Parts: sequence; C-alpha cells; structure tokens
Amino acid sequence: MLNKLALSGIKHRMRDYSVLFSGLIIASAIFYMFMSLATNSSFLNANSPAAATSFIYGFGAVLLAIITIVYINYANGFLLSMRQKEYGMFMMLGAKSSKISRMIFVETFTIGAIATLIGTVIGIVATGFVSQLIIKSLDMQVKHFNSFYVPALLSTFAFFIVIFIFSALKNSISLRLTKVLTLLHMDSQPVRIKKNKFLKAFQVILGIVFLAIGYTAIIMMGHNPVLIYLGVPVALFTIVIGTYFMINAVITTVITALKKNKKFAQKGLNNFTLSQLSFRISDYTKILSMVSIMFALALGAITVGMGFQNQISTVVNGQAYYDVTVNNINDAQQERIDKLNVKEETTYAYKFKDDTIYYQSDEFEKVPFKYQKFNMKSMVGETASTKKPKDDASYELLNNNLPRYRTAKVEMVDKNKFDTINAKANSLTLVKTDSFKQNLTQIKKINQAEQKRFPELKQAGASKYDSYLLINGFFSGLEFMGLFLGIAFLAMLASCLMFKILSGASSDVKRYNMLYKIGTRTKVLRSNINKEIAVLFAVPAGLGIIHVLIGLQMFSKILIKPYMNIEIPFGIFIVLYLGYYFVTRYLYKKIVLK
Amino acid sequence: MQKIVEVKNIEKIYGKADEKQYKALSDVNFDVEPGEFVGIMGASGSGKTTLLNILSTLDTPTSGQVQISGQDITKLNTNEMADFRANKIGFIFQDFNLLENLTAYENIALPLALQNTSSKKIDPAVMSISKKLGLTDILNHYPTELSGGQKQRVAAARALVHDPSIVFGDEPTGALDSKSARALLDTMSKINHEDNVSILLVTHDPFSASYCDRIIFIKDGEIGQELKKEDHTRGEFYQEILDSLGTFAD
Ligand SMILES: Nc1ncnc2c1ncn2[C@@H]1O[C@H](COP(=O)(O)OP(=O)(O)O)[C@@H](O)[C@H]1O
Ligand SMILES: [Mg+2]
Repeated sequence: MLNKLALSGIKHRMRDYSVLFSGLIIASAIFYMFMSLATNSSFLNANSPAAATSFIYGFGAVLLAIITIVYINYANGFLLSMRQKEYGMFMMLGAKSSKISRMIFVETFTIGAIATLIGTVIGIVATGFVSQLIIKSLDMQVKHFNSFYVPALLSTFAFFIVIFIFSALKNSISLRLTKVLTLLHMDSQPVRIKKNKFLKAFQVILGIVFLAIGYTAIIMMGHNPVLIYLGVPVALFTIVIGTYFMINAVITTVITALKKNKKFAQKGLNNFTLSQLSFRISDYTKILSMVSIMFALALGAITVGMGFQNQISTVVNGQAYYDVTVNNINDAQQERIDKLNVKEETTYAYKFKDDTIYYQSDEFEKVPFKYQKFNMKSMVGETASTKKPKDDASYELLNNNLPRYRTAKVEMVDKNKFDTINAKANSLTLVKTDSFKQNLTQIKKINQAEQKRFPELKQAGASKYDSYLLINGFFSGLEFMGLFLGIAFLAMLASCLMFKILSGASSDVKRYNMLYKIGTRTKVLRSNINKEIAVLFAVPAGLGIIHVLIGLQMFSKILIKPYMNIEIPFGIFIVLYLGYYFVTRYLYKKIVLK
Repeated sequence: MQKIVEVKNIEKIYGKADEKQYKALSDVNFDVEPGEFVGIMGASGSGKTTLLNILSTLDTPTSGQVQISGQDITKLNTNEMADFRANKIGFIFQDFNLLENLTAYENIALPLALQNTSSKKIDPAVMSISKKLGLTDILNHYPTELSGGQKQRVAAARALVHDPSIVFGDEPTGALDSKSARALLDTMSKINHEDNVSILLVTHDPFSASYCDRIIFIKDGEIGQELKKEDHTRGEFYQEILDSLGTFAD
C-alpha cells in the first residue's frame, strides 16, 4: 500500500523527476566519456608523445570524480527535498521509520541505477559522435579511438554504484533521524541572518586578504614557472577561502545595505527579493563558492586548452622560417607552389662533394637566407637573416635540404669556384607563404609530392609540415582534454546550482501563492523570480570569470599569448551557463507558480 | 449609498464538462453595505471558501455577477484582477500567510510597496495601523518569533494598511487559541466601528460570528436564512446564532 502511494507520489511529480533523471543521466554519460579516454591507454599513447599526458588524464579523472560526487550529492538533495514531506506524512500516519527508510533507499538506488545504465549508453553514442566532431573540426591527430571500451564501462558502473549506495544510505539515515514534525514543516524553517557587524567586517577583510594572496601567488608563478609546485596549492587554498568569505560577507553586506535604502527596498517586491536572496545566500555560500572556483578551473582548462591550439602556429613557425622546400624543382611542383599565397620564393643552387655542400655566396648576397633564431633572453624564436649562414643558420639551411646532406659541412664559394666544382648542380627552392596555417592543404600536397620524388624524406620528417603534424598531435591532445573536462565541469556545476535552487522551490510555493493572493501581478512575480535566480547564477559566474582572468597570468611564460581568443571559451561558457539559467528559471516557475 | 458587495445569481460548478461535476454554489445572492460587518456561516464543505475566492477574484464563478464598489469583477482580465486585489481588498487567512523571511514591518508594508507607494508615505501608514493593532513593539520581529495571535494581528495590519474597500477573512480565528481569537475579533470590530471598514468574515464558529452585524447562513452551496444583530448584545446574538444553527441544520 505504502509503495503504491509512494509510486503515485512520483507520478505527480513526473516533471521534477525527469529533471533529476536527466541530470543523473548526463553525469554518468560524461563520466563514461571521460573514462573511455582516460582508461584507454592505446588511445593515449598513440596521441601524445609525452608520458605526462597519461598523468594529466589521470588527474582529470580524479577531478571529474570529485565533481561528480558533489553533483550527485546535490541531485540527491533535490530528490530528498521532493520526498521529505510525503514520507513525513506517511510516518505521521503511523508508518514505521524503518519501512520508510527502506523505501527511500530503494527509490534512490533504483533511480541511480537506471540513470547510470541509460547514461552509459548515451555516453557510448556521444563519445563516438563528439570525438569525431572535435577531431575533425580541430584537425586533430587522434588514432585508435573506440567509443565502446569495456574498462571504461566497468569503472563507470563501479563508481556510480558506490556513489548511489552512499546516497541511498544517506537519504534513509537522514529520514530516520529527522523528527516527523520537522519533516512536515520542512519549508517553514527560516534562519535569521546573523547580523554581527564586526564579524562581517572581519570576514570581508579576510576575504580580500586571502584573494590578494592567491592572486599574487598566481602572478608570481607567471613570472617564474619554477614556483608552480608551491604556488598552485597556495593559490588554490587562499582563493577557495577568499571566495567563501567574499560571498558570505560581501554579498550579505550589499543586500543589507540595499535593504536599508528604503527608497529602493520599498518598491514593489524588492524587499521580498532581497530577503529571499539574503536567506538564500547564507544557505548557498558553500555551493556558490564551490561553483565559482570550479567555473574558474573549467573555464581555465578550456582557455588554456585552446591557448595551446593557438600555440601550434607559433611553435611551428618557430621551427623553421620557410614553409615549403623543394629540391630540383620541376614543373608539377612549381605549379603547386604557384597556388600558394607566396610571400617570398628563393632558389639557391648547390653542389655536394666530399661531405661538403657548396652554395654560391653571390646568391646569398642578393637574397639573404632567413631563419629562426632562438633568443635565450626572451625565450622565443625570432626571424633573422644572414648572407653568410653559420651556426643556427647553417643548421636550418641543412635541415631544409634532403636528409642525405644533413650531416654535411656548409661552404660558401664565389661563382667561379662553384663552377669548377666537379659535381652535379642542384637547386633548393625555399618558399614563405603569407600564413602557414591558411595554406596548409596546399602545403600538404607539395609535401606529399616531394616525398614521392625523394622517398628518403618519408622517414626523416624534418619538413615544416612534418613538425606541424607532431606538434599538432601533442597540443590537440591537451586541447581535447581541456575542452572536454572544461565543458563537462561547466555542465555539471551549472546543474548543481540548478538542483540546489530547485530544491528550495517547493518551500517557495506558499510564499508566491500568498503574494499572488494579495494582488501581485503574475508578471511581477515572474520577473522577481528571474531576478532572484539571475543573482544566484551571476555571483559565482562573476567571481569565476575574475579568477580565470587573473589565473591565466600563471601561463604568461608557458603560453605566448594566454589571453588570445579568450572570447571563444567565454562564449561557450556563457551559452551553456545561460542555457542552465533559463532552464532553471523555467522549472522554478513551473514549480512555484501553479 | 452604493453597496460594497453585490452578488447576483452566482453559481459555481467544479470539474470540467467531461469530468465528474460538483456544484459548490448555486444561486447565491446577497449584498454588503458600506461599513457593515457581515459573517458567512456554514459547516465545513458548505462552499464558504469557494464563495470568498470568487468575491476576491481568486476564482471565477461559472455564472452570475459580482460587483465590488460598483465594479463588475467577473469581467476583469488577470492583470486587472491582481491590481484589484492589491488596491481594493484586504485578506486575512486562517494560516496567517505571512512571509517568514520578512519582518513584521516589511510584511505590513508589502501591499503599499506593491502599489509603488512612495517610501515616504509607507512609513506613517505602517506605523499608524501598527499602533491601532498594538504591534509597535514587535515590528522588527520575524514571523517565527511571534505568537499565533501576534501573527494574525500582523496579517490584519497588512490587510488594512492600504485602506481597502473591504476586508475578507477566511476563518481568521481558526488557528488561534480562544484568548487570541477574542483579542483579534475585538480589534476587527473596533476598526469596523471607528474607521468604518467593511468586513466580510467567513466562519463556522458561532463565537466569531457573534461579532458580526449580520450573518448569512450557507448550506450545501445555497444561502439559507439571515440573522441580524440589530440592538442585541453580543451574548444574546450568540445565543440566537446557536438556536438558528440548530434549526438550520435540520
Ligand atoms: N478545486 C475544487 N475542485 C473540486 N471541488 C472543490 C474544489 N474546491 C472545493 N471543492 C468542493 O466544493 C465544496 C465546497 O468547498 P469549500 O468552499 O472549500 O467549503 P468550506 O470552505 O465551506 O469548507 C466542497 O465539497 C469541496 O470538496
Ligand atoms: Mg474553507
């Protein structure tokens, strides 16, 4: 009988349950997707030259696990908030608390298990789809990617089963321990905001001091990457605490100040909104600070990931000055070169004899050879030109030539001497385009044709295009992870906030109903809800964005332009986040305004 | 003089055409004069709340006409209804319905703020009604820090602060102990006499009803007899109510 009642309770709240359900499904789908990457060593090894990547993915998996646990905790809170009153009523009517706690256990676990099953299936499909999409759109070199991967499947199941057993236990224990009366009146238990001004002021100062320390640590790390091992923990610790105090103290102070301003407060529902917010904020401090920190990490991960992508061109261009080199040019290759947006094209004659490669000095007098010189001071490569290639320049000149000459000695001779050397006269054509990246497809064709003409080039792989492939593979891996983890974090965090807000919705039904009765227009109620939820979403987003903007300083030495293209990750972030905001306020209104 | 409330041939049927239908009100007619304190009495389930919801634009009648201060409220759109409630009506509910995240003062000020009254005018209005209801000492308290009787007086202050045409009470003493109930009824009656505020009180409790000038009995959705206090004392009127309840119940 009770089971039947409980089931019909679920039926009545089908919409709320479907929100919860889809949230859990998304969580397990994301988890599977990441696991199919992180536990897939053949994929990892094929794609990253550095062993560090495997470690990075492992670290990412731990982060994802933590955020998933937090997320499920909030989703679970939402479930409990939906059920408390009903189960409280059953208990008041005489149902044994052991029976009730068993029921909530079964309910929580069943919902979790079904959601995990569906989620993994979606995860498998989505992995195949998303990976193809990302690989294609970013011109990545991802090999051996299989979206159905058994170890990932097993770890996802194991992880979620453990989490849901804990959630189910938590729910059943908390129902068993709460008094029936408290359950029944769960929504009419406001907390008075603590009005200790001295404590507030102290918290504000503490918040600012901690944030200042954290930000300074970040900027110092940026100047001196060696400090990272000490700086990252310090920054994380201080920024977390600073954020907590900022939200707790600063926001409630602002609200109190606004409430004191009678002109503002006594206009329409302002006073009500402010009160709602001040009650909420103190209740929400933890989640809001967590969300803002995690946002910063997620946004940071995306931005840095994309920063590495931007890095590719810079790094590739730092490898060699000329984009295309062709030996003993023929008509076919010349035709292909003509299709490029050529900025410079030079041809040097050379002869090879006795381990020495001879060039004509007058050709270099006319058109000096350009190369990338590594500046030890600024740690970046810069373009230089020379009429007499030595050291760096001669090294790059050799590298532009065929592999068989690369160990040779370079010698510059005048035309007369050159003509007397008894060897075959060859030519080396060097082309610089207006942009390596934009001419990539044509460069690839020339590179392939050149490899056909000189098979020895296939193994050597020292052309600029070959280094591009290598570098792109490495950075794409980093970017892929940054994007994936970043978006997964964003999605889960925003829905943590959503669940937290929706968990409070049922207790607001009465308030809004009363406001409606005493003559508040529905439009006013709606805009009031929009405002309230907007503030709750904006606070962590604002702080998170500030954290990221300052946090990127950390990469000022590693990334050449850490703020380049920052609008893309921010755009993704804002679109996703706004999406959650709109869904939340829609669902909230559905619950509150009947 | 124009009547405050004029109800003509009201009928209320719950349930859509294809569902099981229930007639909660049938052919209800009555008036309320300005400054009158009218009680509507009936057993539980007789249709009192239904009637009050219609009078206060929270619900619409299936047929019939309701005029309040000469305005036909059944023809209003939803925004006009909201504005009408905000401007013309004061509510006192059985379960107080205070916003527990606002102080007593803020709760009382709410109807004025909703009408965008300037904050300069809000303060004197709140203070004057609070003084009348003996609330000046508790204005900075939150509802959870108040007793039931105090909460209901705050609710009454909120219902009166914007000078409504009429105050509706749906069993306002229902959740109060007898002493607080008496205090609230005394205050309402005082305000009715001194400030000429019209009050329509819905109740199933004869004691509450004895405070009214006139009582309209309702049974199974239909108006039965009417009882007037005239110049009886309250005690006599109370006895009279009990007597007619006996006959009306049969
Ligand atoms: N929304 C509704 N839908 C269907 N029937 C209703 C609804 N509201 C009230 N009723 C029925 O109308 C009758 C009158 O209810 P109500 O006006 O609440 O009575 P009272 O307030 O006098 O106790 C009751 O029988 C009740 O079951
Ligand atoms: Mg009723």
